Amino acid sequence: MHQPATTNPLIIMVINMTIVFAVLIGLSFMIKLVHMIDPTKEKEKPAAAPAPKAAPAPAPASPAAPAVDPNLNIAVIAAAVAAYGGDAKIVAIRPMESTGWKNVGRANGVQNTVF
Amino acid sequence: MNEFMTAWAVSLQSVWNDSGFSAITSGNIIMILVGCVLLYLAFAKEYEPLLLSPIAFGCILANFPKTGFNDEMNVMMAIGFGIKYEIFPPIIFMGVGAMTDFGPMIADPDTMLLGAAAQFGVFIALAGAMLLGFTVQEAACIGIIGGADGPTSIYLTVKMAPHLLGAIAVAAYSYRSLVPLIQPPVMVMFTTQKEREIRMPQLRTVTKFERIVFPVLSTIVISLLLPPVASLVGMLMLGTLFRESGVPDRLSDTAQNALINIVTIFLATGTGLTMDADSFLNYKTLLIICLGLVAFIGGTWAGVVFGKIMCKFTGGRINPLIGSAGVSAVPMAARVSQVVVQKYAPGNFLLMNAMGPNVAGVIGTAVAAGTALAMLQG
Repeated sequence: MHQPATTNPLIIMVINMTIVFAVLIGLSFMIKLVHMIDPTKEKEKPAAAPAPKAAPAPAPASPAAPAVDPNLNIAVIAAAVAAYGGDAKIVAIRPMESTGWKNVGRANGVQNTVF
Repeated sequence: MNEFMTAWAVSLQSVWNDSGFSAITSGNIIMILVGCVLLYLAFAKEYEPLLLSPIAFGCILANFPKTGFNDEMNVMMAIGFGIKYEIFPPIIFMGVGAMTDFGPMIADPDTMLLGAAAQFGVFIALAGAMLLGFTVQEAACIGIIGGADGPTSIYLTVKMAPHLLGAIAVAAYSYRSLVPLIQPPVMVMFTTQKEREIRMPQLRTVTKFERIVFPVLSTIVISLLLPPVASLVGMLMLGTLFRESGVPDRLSDTAQNALINIVTIFLATGTGLTMDADSFLNYKTLLIICLGLVAFIGGTWAGVVFGKIMCKFTGGRINPLIGSAGVSAVPMAARVSQVVVQKYAPGNFLLMNAMGPNVAGVIGTAVAAGTALAMLQG
């Protein structure tokens, strides 16, 4: 048993917040260090490498023969809109900029309460 | 006939004298009613029913006179030992670790700072409690309510101010359930529409190696620095290891389902059993509940303000609304960030980004509690 180091709330706050920040900053540096030395990262790169190639694909894809007929996509989307009903009119079709659908799926997945 | 009547009267007298009705006080009756109100909130309003319902029923049980719960060994006393000797909170933490995905925090470690900043609410409440006449140890336990972490609040209170356990546990768990009501006004008040619309980049993939190394290294660092919370942090990270390694599936499944459910029943019932009229019905309980609210609001405010600072320094990469998730109500505070973002900037998805500070907040609260123990335990 020992006496409290201090009873001044300001000093308690400064010391405690300093330690909390120091520990979490230290952990964040540790995470970055682990990421840098991660030996499994190299193995994943070849698998991840095709992904960037796939991203700029639309540019060369249009002169080259497209794998899927774009008219087919438009027809499918038009059919889906028509099936939905109403007086909808397709003005433009473009890829989603965000990963919204994926995130909505994740949001729905995180429904259990953790204590 | 006369003998029969005498025996009847004596028996009735003796049953009455032995019954709780002869000894019940107005305080006990009030606390039984409080327990019933808490049951209503748990079942009808669904405010943390998993926790509030056993707390409420424990509160009702604690206010029956002559039960002998504290006089001889029985199941209620055994449950009390689980709290008194700090057995239950670390086991709950193991389940939390097994349930929690540390990936978002590992993917964007800079957001861990938001988990640290949100601990500021703890010290606003600590200062307020000391101004209101609480001792420094009591004030630290009240402040930690702002960490929004029930097991840590109970762990710290048992060590430093066990007489306040009932009030602090009820405040901590009640406010956790009120996070969706308490946080949004503060979040909206301190952010601009432009800030709410900031879209954060998608998080990188975290390798299994990182997921396994992080809990091991962080346990070593935190346990060596703050031994008083080694059991809390150690069990949290053990649960995480079960989950992330993917090898002991059965252990992970047990930790995040059966075991945590069993221990939650015991921990919450045992907490309710501390809510007897003598220790609960006083003005300090009301002050604790008010200070708990201050701590929550302070933590949310600090997280959002620090989020704004990080937004400036990162050239607008950080959406300040994820700062409020730094209070460690996992994953509710992260969900609240997402709900507020969706309301003011539809199509903007920050849930996974908010999970980073949310999980960091759990570690931050444990570190704050450990530091308080090291500094203040008398």
